[in-house]
Amino acid sequence: MLRKVLINVILIIIWFIIYFLQSNFFNWFSIAGIKPNLFVIYILFIGLFGNRMMWIIYASIFGIFLDLLFEQTIGPNLFGLILVGIIATFSDKNFSKDSRITIMFMVLISTVVFEISSYFIRYILYSINVEIIAFLRILSLEVIYNILITIIIYPLIQRFGFYIENEYKGNKILTRYF
Amino acid sequence: MYKNKRSGLVGIIITIVVLVLIVIFSNREANTTFIENIANKLVMPVQNGLIYLKNKMSGNSTFFTDINNLKTENKELKEENSKLEQSLRELENIKTENETLKEYLNLTEKYGEYKTMPAYIINKDISNYSKTIIINVGKNDGIEENMTVIADEGLVGYVISVTDTTSKIRTIIDTSSSISCLMSTNKDSIVCKGTLNNNMELKAMYISTDANLVQGDSIDTSGLGGIYPKGIHVGTIKKIVATQNITDRYAIIETAVDFNKLNTVLVIKNN
Repeated sequence: MLRKVLINVILIIIWFIIYFLQSNFFNWFSIAGIKPNLFVIYILFIGLFGNRMMWIIYASIFGIFLDLLFEQTIGPNLFGLILVGIIATFSDKNFSKDSRITIMFMVLISTVVFEISSYFIRYILYSINVEIIAFLRILSLEVIYNILITIIIYPLIQRFGFYIENEYKGNKILTRYF
Repeated sequence: MYKNKRSGLVGIIITIVVLVLIVIFSNREANTTFIENIANKLVMPVQNGLIYLKNKMSGNSTFFTDINNLKTENKELKEENSKLEQSLRELENIKTENETLKEYLNLTEKYGEYKTMPAYIINKDISNYSKTIIINVGKNDGIEENMTVIADEGLVGYVISVTDTTSKIRTIIDTSSSISCLMSTNKDSIVCKGTLNNNMELKAMYISTDANLVQGDSIDTSGLGGIYPKGIHVGTIKKIVATQNITDRYAIIETAVDFNKLNTVLVIKNN
């Protein structure tokens, strides 16, 4: 029980660190003005290593939090992060978490799905001007940035992730042994 | 993820180096020569080292004998240096404060006809696709939704939501923003919308077929739409894009406000 509390406290602290990195550090450490999206990597990681209830709670709370902070209505971030959680659950069942290629592929798909869904919701809510070429340019740079960051931090993520997995999934872990 | 520890570490180091290089080169100023920079960085440390050795060799005989004097001198200089650094920090604080106050004063004088409230930007959007900002005044300071926000150079946006101590601003460069504007020379009306492309550009659309567009023409708000008051400077026409069908032509407007450097704003309280 104490371990689970500790895991959740660490995850909340990580979220705040990510938030401050995203709103300060990555404003200048950007690729041609484009920031990465660490929230996608964060929820993907929770979905891959934690249980279903865990990512649903984290994606919902932090999605609503981001929407309240930066959007006019609740929706774009909440919906996008829940989709990322669903992708993570699907990937956990079907792909290995030890392969570099599958992890990069998961980050790619998650980022693309998150941004397209958020953009689509913004289009419906605020009638934004759709600029497909500009959107694709930003998206591709963001995907590259997210993949590079994942390559750098994944050994750390993986170590902490297996700790979470052992605590939350116990003997239900399957994919690691295939 | 990595088959053995060593190759994994090398992979991570290479990725970090690649990422840093991408960030540096993607954001670097266009006027610095790339090859010149690299050449300088490769040669200069060696050059400096050689010069240092040459100076040492060519007859500075008192160097070793005066070592005690040098130590004392060094200590004194270090103390003096720390004192100077402290005063420099104090001066920098005063300078920043002075600049902010000057900015407020300029803004208030320029927009004297409006009742305004100065504010700091405390947060910018975390996403690449929307451009909202958060300022440090809210309901407690009399801020309400739909109030116009301006800066020294021109229009910034409007308040979309308020809490007790903060307000959320939708900037004019956000893709969901659209402003009814007038061109200053011929008073033709246009609609300016935010784009994803650039933090300093708007797209002017719905230009009437008989309107005469002039590059460099000033664009101001028209007062239509119920949010922005009339006559606030938005920007200037940067480029006119002609299309086959004249009704589809559009113009690129360069915003008067540099949103990358924006720190202080004014909220107009009596629209």
